[in-house]
Amino acid sequence: MRIILPMTQPQPPDREVVAALVMAATTDVMLQRGHADANVAPDTRLVGASAVLDSLGLVTLVVDLEQRVQDELGYGLTLANERAMSRTNSPFLSVGTLTDYIHGLIVETITRA
Amino acid sequence: MSAAWLLERMREFEDRAAVVWRDRTVTYRDLTRLVDTCDQELAAAGVGSGDVATLEGDYSPASCALFLALARRRAILVPLTPSVAAHREEFLDIAEVQVTTTIDDADRRQITRRRTAPTNPLMRQLIERGEPGLVLFSSGSTGASKAALHDLTRLLDKFQVRRQQKCTLTFLLLDHIGGINTLLYTFANGGTVVTVAGRDADSVCRAIAQHHVQILPTSPTFLNLLLMSGAHRRYDASSLELVTYGTEPMPASTLARVHEAWPHVKLQQTYGLSELGILRSKSRSSDSLWVKVGGEGYETKVVDGTLWVRARSAMLGYLNAPSPFDADGWMNTEDQVEVDGEWMRILGRRSELINVGGQKVYPAEVESVLLQIDGVEDATVHGAPNPITGQIVVARLTLAKPEDLSGLKRRVRAFCATRLAPFKVPIGIEIATHDQHTARFKRVRA
Repeated sequence: MRIILPMTQPQPPDREVVAALVMAATTDVMLQRGHADANVAPDTRLVGASAVLDSLGLVTLVVDLEQRVQDELGYGLTLANERAMSRTNSPFLSVGTLTDYIHGLIVETITRA
Repeated sequence: MSAAWLLERMREFEDRAAVVWRDRTVTYRDLTRLVDTCDQELAAAGVGSGDVATLEGDYSPASCALFLALARRRAILVPLTPSVAAHREEFLDIAEVQVTTTIDDADRRQITRRRTAPTNPLMRQLIERGEPGLVLFSSGSTGASKAALHDLTRLLDKFQVRRQQKCTLTFLLLDHIGGINTLLYTFANGGTVVTVAGRDADSVCRAIAQHHVQILPTSPTFLNLLLMSGAHRRYDASSLELVTYGTEPMPASTLARVHEAWPHVKLQQTYGLSELGILRSKSRSSDSLWVKVGGEGYETKVVDGTLWVRARSAMLGYLNAPSPFDADGWMNTEDQVEVDGEWMRILGRRSELINVGGQKVYPAEVESVLLQIDGVEDATVHGAPNPITGQIVVARLTLAKPEDLSGLKRRVRAFCATRLAPFKVPIGIEIATHDQHTARFKRVRA
């Protein structure tokens, strides 16, 4: 007998899951780059005068996040590309905007599939 | 005059050991007799002046004898080794090979005629002059191989000056300019060529101990593998006097460890290209990457940090690419160098340079640091595109035992942070699943 399973749409992870991942990765990179402690919050700035990371730190964070999103959530995303760079509101502005951006890309990937 | 002088010279050495093959010694008398036999076999097959002939096999009495017999008969030699098996047909076409000569595991020779007659203008010129030739394929890590055509008489010329008689292990392959250089140098001076069946660390170290090898010409990658294997602790290397390394930049950390493993051995960097031959070189000291290159027949100059060389023994040209020489005969080596008076340090190929936000990173420097990390057996570094900094440094590591990537990243970056400028610290870190070197023990960067 064949069992026919109903088609289910894969569910995107909760925003909170993505937020935790971004915060953990940011903490990691900050510690690796010489910060004695890293108090990361959603409004922690990643770009600009009050940024906690320099440009190399940001690049490192983005590369690490691409790898962690792939390994831990199973989505192969390219975070840094021309499209992201040319947005009026940079997705790399803060931990919060980066979380929204990644979550949005995952939702987009699922809808497109 | 061709190659005749070399054979006359070799006859003087009579009972001296010429080749050690499978632990059996062949004297100069035996070898020159074998050259005569090969010469007769070639004559019987109608192989003579101007024929383009392969020489396919590893170092052995027969391959050495065939090399010399083909040169004496003024043929154009095309040495090929199993490392280029995948490209054999392509290479036969490029060189317009008319005769294939192969040597099997039992050192038997097979001579086969093919049809094509050379049409390449450069090749035709050499054939019309009646000189023996040599075709070497560049082992270019990227892009198609280029076939360098040499006038063998000119290449042989520098070996007329008598130098030291040494026992040398033929590590570099027979189709490599370094391998040919070793062979000709050794025979021109009555030295001994020690061949090895395998090019693994144990086979090499065992041969050094057993046959009292004095010179080991090799590559930085092989030296690194040798240290990792610990073979240098298992075999006596007291006979060893000189290790030469070339073909790629030497990581400073590997050089320091070789010096520590074999403190009695002089370590010397060599510099050569398929197009130019091997330049004479002198390292400032055994633990120094500063080197003086040149010697008779070679001129060097540095233009905007890039090394240019003009050589009397330079190739005639490529068979399948435009000439790389300028109007005055200088060739841009594409090697970036740092200069300190008469000394220079080779930083790496221009094409391998990584540009991180406008700052230059040479893979060799980063690899040298990565190789010092516990549990890292091998490391290659390359650039990957990145919209923020243009490029980023990516390291691919071969690990002694499996490890979690996040932990590895933390460990690697922390180690590098104290030893490298921030922009040189690898941002991308990958774990390699395959060997990261070629059959010639040269690094393969992604």
